[in-house]
Amino acid sequence: MKRFVLAIAAIALVVSGVAAQGTIKIGGIWTLADITGKQGSAAAQLAVDEINAAGGISGKTLQLIVVDDEGKADKAAAAVEKLATVDKVDVFVGGMASGAELGKIPSFKKYNKVVMSTGAAGSATVEKALGPSPESDFYFHLHPWDYNQGASYAEGWDAIQKKYPNVQIKKIFLAYEEGAFGKSSWDSTKILFGADKRYTIDGAPFKSALLGGGDYTAVLEAAKAFKPDLFLWAGYDADALPLLEQSKAMKFSPGIYLGAPPGWPIGFGSSRLANNVMLYGMWSTAMNDTNAQSKKFYDAYVKRYREEPATYFALLAYDAVKILANGIKAAGTTETAALVKALEATSYASALGETITFKPSNVIKHQGITRQKILQWQGGLQEVIWPFEAATAAPVYPFPAWK
Amino acid sequence: MNRTLARSLPVAAIGVAILLPMFMGDYPLQVARNIMLYMALAVTWDMLLRSGQISFGIAGLFGLGSYASILAVVRGGMPGWLSIPFAGLFAGLAAFLIGFLILRLRHTYFSIVTLALGEIFRIIIHNMHDFSGGPEGIVVQQGIIFGGASRNLYWLTLAGLAVALLASYWFEKSKVRFALTAIRNNEISAKSSGVNIFRWLLLAFVVTSAIQGMMGGIFVMSYGFASPETVFSADFTLLPLAMALLGGIHSTVGPILGGLLLGLVSEWLKLQIPYGHLVVYGVMIVVVILFMPQGLLGLARKTMRAAGRNRK
Repeated sequence: MKRFVLAIAAIALVVSGVAAQGTIKIGGIWTLADITGKQGSAAAQLAVDEINAAGGISGKTLQLIVVDDEGKADKAAAAVEKLATVDKVDVFVGGMASGAELGKIPSFKKYNKVVMSTGAAGSATVEKALGPSPESDFYFHLHPWDYNQGASYAEGWDAIQKKYPNVQIKKIFLAYEEGAFGKSSWDSTKILFGADKRYTIDGAPFKSALLGGGDYTAVLEAAKAFKPDLFLWAGYDADALPLLEQSKAMKFSPGIYLGAPPGWPIGFGSSRLANNVMLYGMWSTAMNDTNAQSKKFYDAYVKRYREEPATYFALLAYDAVKILANGIKAAGTTETAALVKALEATSYASALGETITFKPSNVIKHQGITRQKILQWQGGLQEVIWPFEAATAAPVYPFPAWK
Repeated sequence: MNRTLARSLPVAAIGVAILLPMFMGDYPLQVARNIMLYMALAVTWDMLLRSGQISFGIAGLFGLGSYASILAVVRGGMPGWLSIPFAGLFAGLAAFLIGFLILRLRHTYFSIVTLALGEIFRIIIHNMHDFSGGPEGIVVQQGIIFGGASRNLYWLTLAGLAVALLASYWFEKSKVRFALTAIRNNEISAKSSGVNIFRWLLLAFVVTSAIQGMMGGIFVMSYGFASPETVFSADFTLLPLAMALLGGIHSTVGPILGGLLLGLVSEWLKLQIPYGHLVVYGVMIVVVILFMPQGLLGLARKTMRAAGRNRK
């Protein structure tokens, strides 16, 4: 009997060992109740399935194990612990909110496995918590930091004014939601646009409709009195339509009306108020006409999930898995030092319309994308205005007066 | 037999709680830490509830303690471990001063003011940008306490919970219980019996606030950061409240039971239904509160009474 039990145990060990050798496990952590996390995890699964359908990586199949971080630091930490110690994943992918990412960082550091992060733009906290190289070399940050985004907007507006001389920007007003997202936008706007006195900057906070606000009268009055050439609001999707409604009621129509929420409300494009509103982003369905990678991803995603990717976070997650897979293939292992070295050589043609490579940022060594795009709602679609190499339409300027 | 069991059960539970890290991996220890943190908040919420006052200010005091702790470390150079009792003292002192203003209020008025307290603290932190890090938050650059060692962090949170349980036990077994129960039942009768209502309410408010602040200190030292959106999150008010209601109010055991059950169920549901667990969790809490208003403890007492009657 004893011999029989030992034999069964030995067989079980061998079988589990073989299974483990044949699988590369990716631990995915997102906020699944949020559209960015729900679609991000779905897009990551799509990438995994495509890689496996094409034969996997050196004969091994990929397995994505997803855990919800609920957008909370403590739950995010538990997710890392579960994936690292119970599921024994080889690498990590995911991330969106900086608060949840900060909860993960101590555990990430403890396990020192490669992380391909798709979110967390807050440099003042997340980048600081990661620390400089070599302590944070395991961490590959795909999404631009807040200061990267600010710098790319400044670059974009300069380029647009140069190409379209009728676009003149001297005065910028920023209406920003009073939380971390809005405040960091305000700080970076002041530094990037106001530093060399080329632009006159003013701004005021508002309470986002998402957090119980919804009355923008005071901030719009201040903006109207300032007479900006560029009116920018940094808030959430819930603010988009009420802000436009109140702007219309107050007949406030600046030369450029620009919104910078992380995502837009579903069906926003079909609203008549949306037309000619500009926005910052990384991707739009309009890019399917100019970018083969984008179209390939879009078609596969819609076919599989019967819905459109609502934000660029789906593409980031898809790219994150593909980049990791390429790195693992090149390294021939998931061991951190070798994989980091292989990923450092990444040159990946992204569905986002640019080639992703990793370069040092202000603090960490591996920063992926540094530029965002300037887009405009035109006829229900987000058209890319800048960078010009990815442009899908010319800008409509100025923002038409309200009728 | 019952008395022996009643005495040996808590001792066994304490022993298991202390020795747990010897047998468990980092993931269960992390889950246990999360549960113990909310459990301590649930117990302290219940302690004040025993006076009849419903506080919605847990997140406010938790956040205040969090910031007291992290700012003492980052700006004041205080050692991380010392910043935790400091957070408790700071929150306790703040509660003492605020108590003079708000403990004259009762019931709904008191609840609304405690809810507003959290918002006031959050706005103050938001606006002290250069000192507190503002809305973006602040990070402990020298790393987290104990170098992030799971066992030590577990024992630290357990120690925080132990303080909450000891305070609750003291409230239950000393004359504090009589004073608070008398106030809850009828303030006029209590006053005419010589109970100094303000003094006892102030004591309960200060002690519970200090523990909530201390737990905030443990939280930020365990993760190495604080941001207003994280530490003033409504979760730190609503979850402890749900835990106490589920377990059974006006006792120490009730919030522990509720905390344990809700904490475990929440984690289990998350793994079983990744894309819909929050809906199931929310519905479960509503159903339990609707159909078991006395909580698990009330249900257990009712069942035991029924069993006793059947035996006769």
